[in-house]
Amino acid sequence: MAIATARISALEEPPVRTVRRGAALWAVIRRKPLGLTSAAVLVLFVLTAVFADVLAPYDPLATQPEIRLSPPSQSHLFGTDDIGRDVLSRVVHGSRISLWVGLLAVGIGTVAGMIIGLLCGYCEGRLDLLVQRLMDAIQAIPGLILALAIVSVLKPSTTNAMLAIAIVIIPGNSRIVRGAVLSAKQNRYVEAALAIGCRHPRIITSHILPNVTAPILIIASIWFGNAILIEATLSFLGLGTQPPTPSWGLMLSSTGRAFMEQAPWLAIFPGLAISLAVLGFNLFGDTLRDAWDPKLRRQG
Amino acid sequence: MYKYVIRRLLFALPVLLLSSLIVFGLMRVMPGDALVALMGESGNVGQRELAKLRKDLGLDRPYHEQYLIWVWQMVSLNPGDSIFTNEPIAVALKKSIPVTLELATLAMVLGLVIAIPIGVLSATRQDTPSDYVGRVVAVSGLSLPDFWLGTLVITFAAIWFHWIPPIGYVTFWESPWRNLQQFLLPAAVLGFRLSAATMRMTRSTLLEVLREDYVRTAWAKGLEGRIVVYKHALKNALIPVVTIVGGQMATLLAGAVVVETIFALPGMGRLTVEAILFRDYPVVQTNVMLVAATLVTLNLLVDLTYAWLDPRIRYG
Repeated sequence: MAIATARISALEEPPVRTVRRGAALWAVIRRKPLGLTSAAVLVLFVLTAVFADVLAPYDPLATQPEIRLSPPSQSHLFGTDDIGRDVLSRVVHGSRISLWVGLLAVGIGTVAGMIIGLLCGYCEGRLDLLVQRLMDAIQAIPGLILALAIVSVLKPSTTNAMLAIAIVIIPGNSRIVRGAVLSAKQNRYVEAALAIGCRHPRIITSHILPNVTAPILIIASIWFGNAILIEATLSFLGLGTQPPTPSWGLMLSSTGRAFMEQAPWLAIFPGLAISLAVLGFNLFGDTLRDAWDPKLRRQG
Repeated sequence: MYKYVIRRLLFALPVLLLSSLIVFGLMRVMPGDALVALMGESGNVGQRELAKLRKDLGLDRPYHEQYLIWVWQMVSLNPGDSIFTNEPIAVALKKSIPVTLELATLAMVLGLVIAIPIGVLSATRQDTPSDYVGRVVAVSGLSLPDFWLGTLVITFAAIWFHWIPPIGYVTFWESPWRNLQQFLLPAAVLGFRLSAATMRMTRSTLLEVLREDYVRTAWAKGLEGRIVVYKHALKNALIPVVTIVGGQMATLLAGAVVVETIFALPGMGRLTVEAILFRDYPVVQTNVMLVAATLVTLNLLVDLTYAWLDPRIRYG
């Protein structure tokens, strides 16, 4: 009995793995300039969103019609829009919407995809076959078009855009997790855990799950950028965040396009913010992959 | 090969059927129904007219009947009428499909023209400044929103060159020059986005192939660098690129939604966005289903091409 307990505890040592992963990531971030840059961009993005109230020089909704469409100046670094709102303050507050959408959409999509992938990969059989075909069917519709269709049904809003993005994320995530589970199941320690009478939920949570966290985190990081991009696109098309809430996509759509020749700063700054955030997440995803995926590490 | 084709076809059919169920189900999740939502917004339609409209559109039938009718309409290429314009959807599609097709083809060509040379340059000069520039261009392509890029292109073309794309769509056969003027910028914007993944794939597969023994032999024989890279290595490196290009059809069709809206091109993308904005659900469900069917078919074709190019696949 004592031996069995010792074996079980020997099988359950995920903290060591986590520390190693952290160290591997830090090593890649220090070694690769793009890794460091992406990490810096992400920290900047998160801090801007969290401290938006402190960082924004003006109220993002306060209008001053007398200074409408002012070009960038010392008092308004990014200029003002068609009703005299400070563009910098709106860009700073817009980061909150993007971070919020990214966090919730990717969070919901990742957790749901993970549960489906874990169950399908672990149970296999008919359930797996059926669910995988369903995932194929969802993936047959391009993400943005599916999100558009969902939002059209639910009515345009930030929350519904978030939900739509989460649904778009689920199939891809479930497939990656399923693949990782199928490969983790082949390990001897899973067989050993089964042999000593571990119950399935325990095997899934203690022995399989730690093996799938790396691919989940890599894909979540890349999806975070995509979620920001889809939300911005939905808002740009008038199907995401609704006025007057400052959202980067909406800023480009409403005033950005109408006054683009007269006031190009209205289109330039929100677009730069979206691009920088998405670029940061894409590069950070690459960095995570370099650090945690040995197969790709060799290729450099 | 025949067995492989039949097996892939058998996989594609249930996927299409499930996709149609998802699209149909989605359109029925709407609280109340599409008509109530649509008419409720205009606010001046009585219950009797509503009931009549519902009957005319077949919305009073049970769901399974509505679904079967819709599938039959799709299969017989007669997907009903738009609620908003009353125009047959087939007529609207006949006008819009060639626009999207032209945009997609041009974007694909431009994307490949940008991607493959830069990918080759990146791989053959790994870890040099030109490689870094190539990689940054690739990641930028994935990160710059196409609606932003489109907006900037229009803005700066107008500010710097006092040039705006001609308004009013003209087919290629009516006026090739005017048509190209309308399509070149949107196709470049879309192509730039497409090129990113192809560029990355070309770089990484070429890097792998360049380390193969037969390439080393080619070098050892004293062949010219250009011949080793383009004739020996690139040919094999491009096989996985076919899959990437095929997989990008989704990006292309989704990108068309945004680019067509910005550049005012009357394609399928713009038709879909307008239908969504006006909650014209028959058009939305037809277009979404058409996109899904196109993608499933294209993916099937890509898989078959891939199996044809690399015989190991079909026996795998």
